[in-house]
Amino acid sequence: MIRTEHLTKIYRMGAVEVHALRDVSLEIRDGEFIAIIGPSGSGKSTLLNLIGCLDTPTSGDVFIDGIDTASLSENGLAEIRRKKIGFIFQQFNLVHTLSALENVALPMFFAGVGREKRLKRGEELLVRVGLGERIHHKPSELSGGQQQRVAIARALSNDPGIIIGDEPTGNVDTDAGNAIMDILGGLNREGRTIIVVTHDAEIAARAGRIKRMRDGMVLE
Amino acid sequence: MRDAVLLAYRSIRERKARSILTVLGIAVGIAAIVSLMSVGYGMEEAITGELTAFADIISVYPGKIAGATYLELGSFTDRDVSDLQRIGGIKDITTMTYDAAEVEFRNKRAPTFVLGGETKELESLYVEAVGLKEGRWLRENDYKGCVIGDRVANDFFDDVIHVNDKLLINDKKFIVLGVFEKGTMMYANDVDPNIFLTLRAAKDVLQTDEIKYIMARVYDIDEAEEIAEEIKETINDNHGLDEFANAMTMGSMLEQIGGIFSIIRAVLVGIAAIALVVASIGIMNTMLMSVMERTHEIGVMKAIGAKNRDVLSLFLLESSMVSLIGGAAGCLLGLSVAKLMSFLGSMLMTGMELEAIVKPEVLFGGIAVALIVGILSGFYPARKASKMSPVEAVRYG
Repeated sequence: MIRTEHLTKIYRMGAVEVHALRDVSLEIRDGEFIAIIGPSGSGKSTLLNLIGCLDTPTSGDVFIDGIDTASLSENGLAEIRRKKIGFIFQQFNLVHTLSALENVALPMFFAGVGREKRLKRGEELLVRVGLGERIHHKPSELSGGQQQRVAIARALSNDPGIIIGDEPTGNVDTDAGNAIMDILGGLNREGRTIIVVTHDAEIAARAGRIKRMRDGMVLE
Repeated sequence: MRDAVLLAYRSIRERKARSILTVLGIAVGIAAIVSLMSVGYGMEEAITGELTAFADIISVYPGKIAGATYLELGSFTDRDVSDLQRIGGIKDITTMTYDAAEVEFRNKRAPTFVLGGETKELESLYVEAVGLKEGRWLRENDYKGCVIGDRVANDFFDDVIHVNDKLLINDKKFIVLGVFEKGTMMYANDVDPNIFLTLRAAKDVLQTDEIKYIMARVYDIDEAEEIAEEIKETINDNHGLDEFANAMTMGSMLEQIGGIFSIIRAVLVGIAAIALVVASIGIMNTMLMSVMERTHEIGVMKAIGAKNRDVLSLFLLESSMVSLIGGAAGCLLGLSVAKLMSFLGSMLMTGMELEAIVKPEVLFGGIAVALIVGILSGFYPARKASKMSPVEAVRYG
C-alpha cells in the first residue's frame, strides 16, 4: 500500500518559490490501477517522483508498504526503487548503447542477479511484451511503441509490486498507446499496483480510479 | 564484473574519437617513461659492460682527481713498483709512461702525447676494446714501430697517415705499424690523440724513466677495493705524502657511473611525469564531459535502482579501462621508440652498441602508473556522477 500524508514540495527558483505540491494526502491500495490526470504544471509528475522515491518532499511523508521513505538514506531509497518500483517514462529512457535485452537486464545487474539468470529473465520479459524477435536490437532500431515496451519489460525485471508510468503513452501513436495500456492492464490483473500520469482522458478511462490534480492539489 | 566491463566498454566505444585521443594521451606519457628508462638502462649497460671487462684492474695514478680535472703530482719510482709486487692478491703489475711529445709528418709538426707500456698489457687494455682500422699491433721488439690513434691519423696533418708512413717523434724515426679505430665514450680521450710505443721506445723518446701509470691486476675482484687502499698507502708512505697516489678500481668507477645514471634516470622520469600529468588532465576532462553528456543516463540508472556506489564504480571502471588500454598501448609504443632510439643511437655513435634494455618491471610499472592515473583522475568525475539527484538527472536533456 502507498500512502502520502500532507505531502508538500516547494521548488526554489532564485527568489521565487514554486509550490509544486500542496498538502497532498492520498492512499493507493495494493493492486489498484490509478490514473492521475491534470494540466501541465498541476504537480502530477512531482507527485509521481515522490511516490517513486526519485525525489524527497519538502514536508510530509510517503509510506510504501508501511516504510516511511523520509527516514531512508539515498541508498535506502535506491533499494526501494530497485525492489518495489518499476518506472516507465514518457521518453522511454533506454540506455542507447545497450541492446533491448541488456536494457531489460540492467536493473537486475544493479540488484546483483547472476548473468545467466538475468539474460534468461530478460528474454522472457521481452517475449511477454511481444518483442521476442528483437531482443538484440538497439533502441535506435526500434519504433517508439517498441521502445516503450522494452521499458515496460525493464520496469518488470526485478518483479516489483508497483509500476509507475509518467505519460507512458505520450510519445507513441494511438495503436501503440493502446497496446501499452493493454500490457499495463494485464500487469494490474496479476495484482500489481499501477499508477499512471496522463492528460489523455481516453487512456485514463482504462484505469480503475482517476484522480484529478490542479495547482499542486488533488481534487476530490 | 563482466557486465560492468561490457557496460563501460560500450560507453567508451560510443565516444570513439574522444576515447582514442584520451588513450593516446596516456599512451604517450607511458611510452615516454618506458622508452626513456629503457634507453637509460641500455646506456648504463653499454658503459658498465665495457668497464666490467676490466673489473680486476686497479689503475694507479700519481696525482689526484679534483672534479673533472686531473692534477699530476709527480711520478712513481722503481721502488714503488717493487713494493707493490710484494702486496698479496696482486696477479701482475704493469707500468706505463706517457708525456707530451712532438710529431713530424712530411715536414709538418704537431704536438701529441706518447704512451708507452708493455705491449701485451696495452693490447688487452686498448686494442681489444677499440680495435685497429689498419695494420697490426706492436710486438715487444718493435722498437721503431708505433701505432697511432684516429685523430693523429686523420686530424693532425693535412695528409692522412697510413700504415708504413714514416713519422718523427721528438726527432726519432718511427714507422706506423697500425692505426686505431675511432675510440668511443671512455676511450675517445685515451686513444684518439695518442701515439703508442713499446715501453723501451717511449722511455727513449721521452728521455725519462718516470712511471706515470701503474696498472695492477688482482686475483679476486672482491678484494680489489682493499688492495687499492693498500697500494695507495704503500706509495704514499714511500713518498712521504698523504695524498700522492690515486688508486682506482673499476668497481668504484662503476659506482660513480651508476650514481650518475640514477640522476639521469630521475630527470628522464621527471620529464615523463609531466607528460603523465597532462594525460591525467586529459582523462579527467574526458570523463567530466562524459558525465555531463550522460547525466540523463545516470538519472535513468538511478531511477531503476542503481546506488551511488554502482554509478561511482561504473565510471571509475570506465576511466581505468581507458587508462589501462592507454598504458598497454604506451608500453608497446615505448618499446618501439626505445628500439628506434637505440638504432639511431648506434648509427650516430659508430662502434657503440647501444641496445635499449626493456625491463619487465618498467613495463608493469608503466601499466600500474597508467591505472593509478586513471583511477585518480576518474574519481572526481565519477563522484560527481554518483551524487547526481535522480529526478534532476532524468529530467535533464
